[in-house]
Amino acid sequence: MYPKPAKGPQTALRTLRIVFAFTLPLITSATLLAESEAEITAVKFVGTYCVDCHQGEDAEGGLRLDGFESSLNLDTSLEVWKKVVERTENFSMPPREADVPEEVARSAFLDSVRASILKAICEDGAQPGPPQLRRLNRTEYANTVRDLLGIHVNAGHALPSDGAGGEGFDNASETLFISPIYAEKYIDAAREALSHAFNDPGSRRRIVVSEPNAERSPKDAARAVLEKFLPRAFRRGVEEVEVNEYVSVFEMAFETDESYDAAIQVTLQAAMVSPKFLMLYETPNLTGEQAPVGQYEMASRLSYFLWASMPDDELLKLAREERLQDPDVLKTQVERMLESRLSDDGLRRNAKVREFAESFMEQWLGTRALGREFIPDPKVARRYNSELEGGMKYEPVFFFEDILAENLSLLNFIDSDFTYLNRALASHYRIKGDFREQPRRTDLEPDHHRGGLLGMGAVLAVSSHPYRTSPVLRGKWILETILGTPPPPPPPDVPALEENDSSNVPSSLREQLELHRDNATCASCHDMIDPLGFGLENYDLLGGWRDEAGGQPIDTRGELPGGQTFDGHEELKALLMERKDKFVRHFVSKVLGYALSRGLTEEDNCVVEEITQNLAQDDYRSQTLIKEIVLSVPFRYKRGSE
Amino acid sequence: MKRSAKQSSQRESSVYLNGDAKLRGPLSRRTLLRGTGMALALPWLEAMMSESRGDEASVETDAQGQRPSDTPIRMAAMFVPNGVRADQWTPKGEGKDFELSPTLQPLSSYKDKLLVLSNLWNQASNVGDGHYVKCSGYLTCTTINKSLGIDLNCNGRSVDQIAADFGEQHTPLRSLELGIDPVTTGVDTNVGYTRVYGSHIAWNGPTSPLAKELNPQSVFDRLLRATKPSAQSAWRDQLLLDRALGDVKQLNRMLGASDRHRMDEYMQSLRSIEKRIEKQSASQSANWQPLVSVNPEKRPGEASRDNHQEHVRLMMDMIALAFQTDTTRVCTFMFGNAVSGRNFSFLDGVSGGHHDISHHQGNEEKLAQYQLINQWHIEQYGYLLNKLESMQERDGTVLDHSMIMYGSGLRDGNSHSPHNLPIVVAGKAGGRLNSGQHLSFGNDTPLANLYASMLSALGTGIDKFADSTGVLPGVLAS
Repeated sequence: MYPKPAKGPQTALRTLRIVFAFTLPLITSATLLAESEAEITAVKFVGTYCVDCHQGEDAEGGLRLDGFESSLNLDTSLEVWKKVVERTENFSMPPREADVPEEVARSAFLDSVRASILKAICEDGAQPGPPQLRRLNRTEYANTVRDLLGIHVNAGHALPSDGAGGEGFDNASETLFISPIYAEKYIDAAREALSHAFNDPGSRRRIVVSEPNAERSPKDAARAVLEKFLPRAFRRGVEEVEVNEYVSVFEMAFETDESYDAAIQVTLQAAMVSPKFLMLYETPNLTGEQAPVGQYEMASRLSYFLWASMPDDELLKLAREERLQDPDVLKTQVERMLESRLSDDGLRRNAKVREFAESFMEQWLGTRALGREFIPDPKVARRYNSELEGGMKYEPVFFFEDILAENLSLLNFIDSDFTYLNRALASHYRIKGDFREQPRRTDLEPDHHRGGLLGMGAVLAVSSHPYRTSPVLRGKWILETILGTPPPPPPPDVPALEENDSSNVPSSLREQLELHRDNATCASCHDMIDPLGFGLENYDLLGGWRDEAGGQPIDTRGELPGGQTFDGHEELKALLMERKDKFVRHFVSKVLGYALSRGLTEEDNCVVEEITQNLAQDDYRSQTLIKEIVLSVPFRYKRGSE
Repeated sequence: MKRSAKQSSQRESSVYLNGDAKLRGPLSRRTLLRGTGMALALPWLEAMMSESRGDEASVETDAQGQRPSDTPIRMAAMFVPNGVRADQWTPKGEGKDFELSPTLQPLSSYKDKLLVLSNLWNQASNVGDGHYVKCSGYLTCTTINKSLGIDLNCNGRSVDQIAADFGEQHTPLRSLELGIDPVTTGVDTNVGYTRVYGSHIAWNGPTSPLAKELNPQSVFDRLLRATKPSAQSAWRDQLLLDRALGDVKQLNRMLGASDRHRMDEYMQSLRSIEKRIEKQSASQSANWQPLVSVNPEKRPGEASRDNHQEHVRLMMDMIALAFQTDTTRVCTFMFGNAVSGRNFSFLDGVSGGHHDISHHQGNEEKLAQYQLINQWHIEQYGYLLNKLESMQERDGTVLDHSMIMYGSGLRDGNSHSPHNLPIVVAGKAGGRLNSGQHLSFGNDTPLANLYASMLSALGTGIDKFADSTGVLPGVLAS
C-alpha cells in the first residue's frame, strides 16, 4: 500500500537505463513510442510552437526539439523536458513575439509533459531527502520551551521573525538562518524562561527533581536533575559523558555562587543555548542507500510536524523501545497526536494539534498577514477591531483542527456546513446565536452564505486591497492557493489598467477589468483570473455579505476560458468541486512540504501523486492524509551518501 | 504631521542619556564649559577627551587636525520600499547652487550637509522581478538567485557589512540591523522568489541575510548592556558560551564535513559575544568606554502597531543613541519591506496601501498620494538628522561625523526601474565628504561607485565595491 523505498540510488539506475538505451536500441525503441494521449498532445504542441526555432545544428539556445515527432523520449531526454517545462511555465517560451498559444493549450501541454516526467521519475520509486539539519523556528522554540519547562509564557517573543522557503512555510530548513544576533537572544530568552519556571512552585518541582541534603552533595543532586532534564531538552537518550559535561558547568557555577538554585539555573540555561537543544539534526547516513530515520529522530519529526513542539514522554518512550518505525504504532500515534476534544458547548481547548493547524493554515492561506502586512483602512472597515481580527484569524485554524481531530473530508475546505465563530465574527456574518470571545463550532445554513474557505473573512480580506475588494487578487488567490496554479506576474511592457476612484463602484470596476479582455496579452491570464474573483463580489473587503455596493447591484457572473459560466459563490464552489483532484493534489503537496520542512523535489511529487490517489479511495479523510505522509518514504527515510 | 521634525525632537534629544552622563563624556564636558561661559576648544580639554577614551595620546592628526582613531565616523543606510514619485524628487540645479525638490523640502535645514545624487543605477538589479531583486541587491549591487529558498543567494555582501569589518574593532557591537516590518510571510509563487529577499538589505555573506531588530526596547536593552557590562553577567555568559561552543564542536565532528553551514553560523554567533566580552574586559589596554552613558531608567515605551510614525521615530532614536554612545558605527534601517502595502491613510490626503499607490499609472490623484508618502518618509529621515545634529561632539555634531544614506532600490514604483535611483547622503563623514551639493553624474553611473566612495570616506582604504568603476567624482573632499 505504501510506496516502497527504491533499491539503490536513483542516479545509478538512470545511468544504467541510459546505457541500455544506447546499446540496445531495438529493445528500447518499443518503449520510446508515445504511450498516452497526453504525450501525443505534448508532441503536437512542440511541433506547432517550438520546432520552428529549435531544430537542427543552429537551434535557438542550443536546444534541439526536433526528433520528438512521436514521443518525448523521456528515458533519454528528461533534462530537456524539465527545461522546456520551466521556460513554458514562466511564460518566457514560446516568446511573445512568436505565435503564442491559447492559454488552454499551453496549460494542457504543461500538464501532459509534467505527467510524463512524473511517470518517468517515479519508476525509480520514492526518494527521501538528506538528513535534517535546521534550527527550531520561532514558534517551535516557544512551544518547546513551554513544554520543556511547563510554563505558559511565550519564550520566543524577542526572537527575530522567520522568513519562509520551500512550499511557503517558516519551518523550511533552507531559510532558517542564524544571524549573529541569535546567540544573545537565546541566552536572554532561556534566562527569562528559567526564571519564570523557578518562580512557579509547580514547574520548579518538575524540573528540580533532586535537592542537596545531608546525604546528597549538591553535585549529586545536580546530576539527578540533569539526567532527567537533558534527554528531554536534547530529545534523545543522553550519554553519561554528556551529563558529566553539564555537571562540570554546574560545579563551576556553584563554586562562584554557592546557591544551588542559581547554579542549576545557569546549568540548564547552558543546555538551552546548546545547539543540541536549538537544532534539529539527524545523524549522517554513511551508507550508499537510503536508510530509516533514527528512532529519536522519528519522534522529533512527528512532534514538530503535528505539534510544532518537542516529543512528549510517550513518543520518547516509544523511541527508546525502538517502535517508531512500526506502521501500526505510527498510525496509533498520529491518531493520538491529532486529538482535540470538543466540549458540549462547542468549544475546543488547548489541543497541541492547534499549533500545526495554526502554523499551517496561516501560511498556506496567507492569513498570517492579517494585522501585519494587511491592515484594512479604518475609514472603510469601521467595524474592524481586535476581537473581529481574532475571530477572523482563528476561524480557519479551528476549522482545520476540527477536520483533523474528527477525521473529516478535506473537501470541507471547498464547501462545508460548519465553521467556527466568535461573537464579533458571528455578528459580522450576521449569524445569530450565543457567542463568546472564543470561537465556537457553528452549523451553517444556506442563507448564511458561508461554508468552506471562500466564505471566510480572513481569506476574503487578505485577498483584497486595504480599502476595497479586488476581483483580480481574489482570482489570483484561488488559482494559487486552492488550485496550485499561480498565474505569472504581468509582463513588464504592458501598462496596467487604470483603475480610478470610481472603481469603488463594482459595476465600473467590472467595466474596467473588461478591458483586460481587449488586449490579447492580458487576456491570456486575466480570462482565468478575473471571473473567479467576480464570483466572490458579494463579500466586501472583510468578507461581510452585501447585495449592492455604491448603490449598484452586485454582478457575480463569470465565464471561464472554454466557455463554462457560473453566477455567485455557490456556483463557483461547485465549479471548484469539479476540480477537486487538482485541489487535493495541491493540498497534499503543501502538507508534505510542511511535514518535511523543505521544498519538494520531483521525486517527492511521486509521493504526492500516490497519496492523492489513495485519498480519493478513502473519501479524502484528513487522518488518512496525515498517516500516508508519516508512513511515506521521504518522512521515514534519509538519503544515502553520494 | 503638521509639526516639523525639527521642533519635535529638540527637547527629546538627550532623553535616553544619564543626567550625569554629560559630565563624563567628552562632549558633555564641553557643554558644561559652554554653560559656564568658558572658551570651547581648550588644549587641556583635548587631552582629557582622549584620556577618557583610553586612547593613546600620540596619534597623528590629519589635515583637519583630527585623529582618525579618535573621532568615530559612522555609516547608516536606510531603505524605503516602492520607489518615489520621480517628477517631485530631483532638485533643480547642480553643484552647490541647487534648489531642493518638493519631496526633499523637509531637509532644508540640512541643505549644506546633504549630497543629493542623481543618475546612479544598480545594473545588477535590472533583471528578475520588480521588487525582491531591487531590495536584496540594494546594498550588495549583485544579482540575487531566483529562488523560493533552496538556492537562496545574494551573490555578494552588503556595503554596510564591509564597513563593519573595519568598525567592529572599535565598538562593542559590530553593526545594527533595524526595521519596522517582520519578515514578510510566505514565498511569492507568482515571481518565484521567497519574500525573505524583500525583507533584508544587510547581507553578511551570500547566504546570510542579517535578521532585523524591530522592537526599540530590545535595541535599547542591547545598547545598555553593551555600554554597561556587568562583570557577573560576563562571567556567566562565558560559562554558557564555553559549553555551547564545546557542543558545536561535538556536533560538527558527528555531522562530518557536509551540511555544517548552519552550525558554523551559530558558532560565529556565539563567538561574537565572546569577542565582545573580551573587548569589555578590564584587562584590555584599549578599554572601550561609551562617549556618553545610557540611562537605564529611560527605556523607550512599547512601539504601538497602530502608530507607525511613533515606531519609526523610536527606531531613529535608537540609531542616534547607538551612534552618539559609539556602541556601533554601522547601521541599516528598513522603513518597510519590499512591496510593502502599509496603509498610509493616517496621512491627510492619503487613502490606501503604499505599494498599490506606487502603481500610480500616471493617475494624478495617486501621484499626489504617492508624493505625500514619499515626503513623510523624508520627514522621518529629517527627524533622525535633526537628532544627530543636536548631539554635539568634539568640533561639531554627530551628524558631522556620520554618513546617513537614504534611498530606494527602484526609482518610480510604477515602472520598477533601477535607473536614476533616488539617493541622498547626509552628514559630512568628519569632513571627508564634499557635502552641500546636488551632483548629477553621467547616465547609468554605478550605484556601487557611491559605496566605493563611502568606504573610502570611512578610511577603510577600500575604493572598489561590486561592479564599481571608481569613486564618484566630486563626492570626496579633496
